[in-house]
Amino acid sequence: MTSDSDQNTMRFDLLKASLADGAGARLGRLAFSGSRTVETPTFFAITSRGAVPHVTPDNLEKHVPVQGTYIALEDFVERPQANLTRTPPIFKTPATPTRPRPLHNFTATPYSTLTLLAARRLPAVASPQGNTPSGISIFTSTGFQTLSTAAYQSAVATLKPDMAIPLADLTNSPTTPNSKRAARMAERTEDWLAQWLLSSSSQTASSETTTAIFAPTLPVPYAMQWEYLARLADDFASDIAGLAVYSSDIIPDLANHPALAAKPRLSLDAPATPHHVLRQIALGADVFLLPFVNGVSDSGVAFTFQFPAPAAAVSEAEEGNGTSLLPLGRDLADPSFAAQVKPLREGCDCYTCTAHHAAYVHHLLSAREMLGWTLLQIHNHAVVAEFFAGVRRALAEGTFAEESGRFQLRYEAEAPAGTGERPRARGYHFKSEGGDGKRNKKGWGKLGPDGEEATGLEGRVGGLKVEEVEKRLERDLTETPVVPDGGGRELEEGGFAEIEKK
Amino acid sequence: KPALKFELLAKCSTTRARASNLTLPHGPVPLPIFMPVATQASLKGLTPAQLEATTCRLCLNNTYHLGLRPGQPVLDAVGGAHAFQGWNHNLLTDSGGFQMVSLLKLANITEEGVRFLSPHDGSPMLLTPEHSINLQNSIGSDIIMQLDDVLVTTSPDKERMREAMLRSVRWLDRCMAAHARPHDQNLFCIIQGGLDLDMRRECTVAMLERDTPGIAIGGLSGGEAKADYCAVVKAVTELLPEGKPRYVMGIGYPEDLVVSVALGADMFDCVWPTRTARFGNAVTRRGVLNLKQARYADDFGPIEDGCGCVCCRPAGEEGALGVTRALVHHNSAKETAAAHLLTMHNVWYQLNLMREAREAIVGDRYPAFLRRFFRDLHGDKERYPAWAVEALRGVGVDIIQDD
Ligand SMILES: [Zn+2]
Ligand SMILES: [Zn+2]
Repeated sequence: MTSDSDQNTMRFDLLKASLADGAGARLGRLAFSGSRTVETPTFFAITSRGAVPHVTPDNLEKHVPVQGTYIALEDFVERPQANLTRTPPIFKTPATPTRPRPLHNFTATPYSTLTLLAARRLPAVASPQGNTPSGISIFTSTGFQTLSTAAYQSAVATLKPDMAIPLADLTNSPTTPNSKRAARMAERTEDWLAQWLLSSSSQTASSETTTAIFAPTLPVPYAMQWEYLARLADDFASDIAGLAVYSSDIIPDLANHPALAAKPRLSLDAPATPHHVLRQIALGADVFLLPFVNGVSDSGVAFTFQFPAPAAAVSEAEEGNGTSLLPLGRDLADPSFAAQVKPLREGCDCYTCTAHHAAYVHHLLSAREMLGWTLLQIHNHAVVAEFFAGVRRALAEGTFAEESGRFQLRYEAEAPAGTGERPRARGYHFKSEGGDGKRNKKGWGKLGPDGEEATGLEGRVGGLKVEEVEKRLERDLTETPVVPDGGGRELEEGGFAEIEKK
Repeated sequence: KPALKFELLAKCSTTRARASNLTLPHGPVPLPIFMPVATQASLKGLTPAQLEATTCRLCLNNTYHLGLRPGQPVLDAVGGAHAFQGWNHNLLTDSGGFQMVSLLKLANITEEGVRFLSPHDGSPMLLTPEHSINLQNSIGSDIIMQLDDVLVTTSPDKERMREAMLRSVRWLDRCMAAHARPHDQNLFCIIQGGLDLDMRRECTVAMLERDTPGIAIGGLSGGEAKADYCAVVKAVTELLPEGKPRYVMGIGYPEDLVVSVALGADMFDCVWPTRTARFGNAVTRRGVLNLKQARYADDFGPIEDGCGCVCCRPAGEEGALGVTRALVHHNSAKETAAAHLLTMHNVWYQLNLMREAREAIVGDRYPAFLRRFFRDLHGDKERYPAWAVEALRGVGVDIIQDD
């Protein structure tokens, strides 16, 4: 447990904190090897099977302004029935001196993008099997299987992500565990982390391929984990680069552990709306993972919010609906966008808004063309990136608290529910029982309030069997209907043919 | 005066293959060329910039689909399909008639036009040559196609076939009369006549009298024997003037492309390369690889060795991704992005095949190009398809023979 590798991993500089002990909203900078820096607060994109949904790596590099992606190991280690003992292919990925990170290489993630590896997707599907003293249960495309702490650590060592979150003993359930379970979670997580740090100190990594470790804190009350946090502070602080915070409620209590206060906080307590993001920033979270971004794109909604919120006069002219609240986004499946030759959001300089306009995205959604979701992903990630840039400016200028309050008052609580038909459930995130998922009916607004929510859109896609999911995907992928639906009137209005009057 | 410039660069001294430059309102296009099909104003998940990166400069939209969505009023308001989809290169649209006739059971052709029942609500509809051209004028595509009376080539009814052929000629006249933008949109005729070579010749002569800027051969790719297909293309190109582009509609398998080029055709379109990508199929010079097969799970080679596409070039090169077969396998049928990557590769392959054909024609090496193509694809000569061997013999190349 030496700290001599410390200088080689990620460094975090607190540039400005609202309170002296590092609590409260703060401005910081993560510095990685290769002089890559990330200004915080910020967010990373969430991948499915290594890909930001609907976004190819070239588009990720050119058009999606995120500096990191969250990748779940459970997306790569399935055991096909035909070959139950195989080594997952990702572990055989070649690396070279100039491309030394197999996780990047396997997923074709550009090296300009940082990778953050965790065991589970976010949000994770709860396993009926539960965890054991030696590891956790994960959900792969071929079903639940166990992942031991040793196997996971070995995966991190092999794949060489830029950042990794060691295993935590989590229930992934929306209900708070009882105190017995909570105590066991803290004990196990502490044991696992101790084992991890013990064995990793015997390994050497070159400075080009270090992995910054974000130690988990647990979604249980402080009283149930203060001993674990004390151990983190006393024994492990020099070996961990940051904290992976599964419940933001714990952030204020971190002030009790000065050795942890200056560690960057990666929030896995996925906020449901930009308002929740602001609340967590106010608590002192630094890096976010936002499942709602992928979900909103799938629902056909384009974000329109900005931070700081625009002045009232401008917005009323824009809005004209009598209320003073601005919408967080607009549902592009709405027919009012059919001929709208304007960007998705006025003034947005993302690829989608500079190369295309709302009418085209509306068309792609109504024609179920996959490009619609790609363009929305690019735009929505850009809007969120700009939101964080605005937050950082406000923090630098000391206006964050004021602007945050104004934002909360200016914008509606939730984004509009998208009415467009969604792409099929991605990856394998379906549950093994229950009826057909209501995915195409649920709006983004159905995501629960902060804290209640361990499963977001992706987690609760219900009831599809593997074959069904694949069939649906095939439909998404293959069917440009040769003769699409369209009644006589639509054909006539569209100028294709006329209705015969007899 | 046509809205295109056609410049013949080189002719193969053995076969009828030609290399030429076609300059359309939205820029130059080297021929021979393969044109991918962006049916609903989008090529299966690719951004226009990604399509451009495959070197594509001319792609298709389908008139029927654009009529339904976004529809003529939106196209007029937005200023046509180029602006609508953010594509600054060339577009070609079909007439829309093919979908009606080939896919709707209840289509019925009269002199006035195609009568059909709307697939959604069964309303009786009429699609005339004037409707089709009017809508294509709103779309603003660089090449527009006449409405034709198209029958499956295998139809046994010779009388009906002849009626369709003659009607197609009459409909061309109506299309030309209705065409409001001949100064910036090129109307191509479509030669019909089934598999009857005399009827094809008669149609060709009649169509040529109308002097359209380009000429298409239609009604093929409908399940006829490949030998019959080749005979039709060969019989028609024989009569065509050198100075106009020749488009064979609905053709896209690599073998069909290289043989059709040898028979004197210049332009092709087909949904196959993009459709098959979505099933995990990679088109390569050694044939089609289904990357969903288990053996590709830990194959860390590029989709195709030596391919110059964005996906296959090694990561680290400018703008290259270093996508491996293992990655495509991992996400094929699971994440749409994997299909987009394969689509990019497949379109590049098709365009590159035509680019290599063009270079071979310019260097007068087309017969050697053909031999190499079939050797790479099939290896063993026993496996060369007989129709291709025969068709190429008919234009002076024996691909069974070594160089
Ligand atoms: Zn935008
Ligand atoms: Zn390639």
